[in-house]
Amino acid sequence: MTGPLTLAINGAHPRTVDVPDDERLLDTLRWRLGMKGTKEGCRTGDCGACTVLVDGETTLSCLTLSREVDGSKVTTIEGIADDPEGRKVQAAFEAEEALQCGYCTPGFIVALTGVRRELGPEASTAALVDGLQGNLCRCTGYLAILRAVERVREAPR
Amino acid sequence: MPFTLEQPTTVEEALRRLADPTGGPAVAIAGGTDLLLDLDEGRVSAGRVVSLRRLPWNRLQWQGDSLVVGSTLPFARLGADPAVRARLPGLVDAVDAVGSLALRHRATLGGNLGRAAPASDVVPILLALGATVRLVGIGGHRDVPVGRFVRSSRQTDLAPGELIESISIPSAPVSAYVWQRVRPANDVSQVGVAVARSDSPSGWHVALGGVLPAPTRVVEAEALLARRRPNDAEVELAAQAAAQRATFVTDKRATESYRRRLVSTLVRRAVARALRTEVGG
Repeated sequence: MTGPLTLAINGAHPRTVDVPDDERLLDTLRWRLGMKGTKEGCRTGDCGACTVLVDGETTLSCLTLSREVDGSKVTTIEGIADDPEGRKVQAAFEAEEALQCGYCTPGFIVALTGVRRELGPEASTAALVDGLQGNLCRCTGYLAILRAVERVREAPR
Repeated sequence: MPFTLEQPTTVEEALRRLADPTGGPAVAIAGGTDLLLDLDEGRVSAGRVVSLRRLPWNRLQWQGDSLVVGSTLPFARLGADPAVRARLPGLVDAVDAVGSLALRHRATLGGNLGRAAPASDVVPILLALGATVRLVGIGGHRDVPVGRFVRSSRQTDLAPGELIESISIPSAPVSAYVWQRVRPANDVSQVGVAVARSDSPSGWHVALGGVLPAPTRVVEAEALLARRRPNDAEVELAAQAAAQRATFVTDKRATESYRRRLVSTLVRRAVARALRTEVGG
């Protein structure tokens, strides 16, 4: 079975596509809509590479049935710089060179943007890092990522 | 195996669709963080998946001194609620221990109970708190204590065609859940220990997770924690009793003997953590 799916992605006007009932949001984004910025890592909810925001909440797109989020607003890495908080996070990752191979980076940037929005600008580094526990960097480049988290906290509002 | 997705908006419709024999076997899905993996890998086969996410169960409310949690409320909403944090700190410890924040935006209390994983972080605290599961079926409602609902590993009291509607949890400001695992966010606990102190009837409840065949209360340890503020020697005896009582498994996450040592340590930590909010003695 397939059915209509309407999503407003990255601030664009809602768009409707026909998707199979069992399709994951990750696959809709990557293969149906050609938005390859969202990465597939483990496909089991362990690595966080596929993190997107659904109605503002950090969401593992590999564990989300697309048709269950019909009507939602979705933010992916392609649109993160249009969000002032997302732009700040992205700039901090750039400034700290907080990436090695880069595969986990979209997930980290989207997740940190969502966690900052959820916990508020006063959230401590420890609370932000706790919110990133589900994002893995297989290059183990965590120290630079940690510096980026601290830089975001210290950035002017 | 591909499946069709049905998204009913009323409980009556959901029950009818689950029972509908046409179209093959159906399975109910809440957050889907566990079930989708089982569907992908063929451990569960169903041609129809009935989503509960549009039912009016995505909420929490207080009824007197008990918290009633709708079965499809995501863990993140439960953990962030100020009243829940104050009145059920042990429940919040357990909820915050599940996966990562992104996972907790989808995973639900009802789903965790229904899947009845032996290493569930949530079942032990529900046992210690004396929670009751409310089920709904074509024939009406029934209320089942968590200890009878979770029968064994992956086995529950849920009858075919029944759904978990809500979970009722008596408040316990003195409660805690502590756990040990290799990695915090993307692994399950080797063992977990839940404790809660009740005022009526007065006494401590102690429950263990990661033990066979399912999370269980340890009444031997509870008896040794008789007083409202047990001293170090009493806690030590209870910790040893809990470690001796349980049946542990050896698997890739830990050996039997390591789990036994962990339980003893975690009982001590859990009691101390539960009492942390109380001043004096």
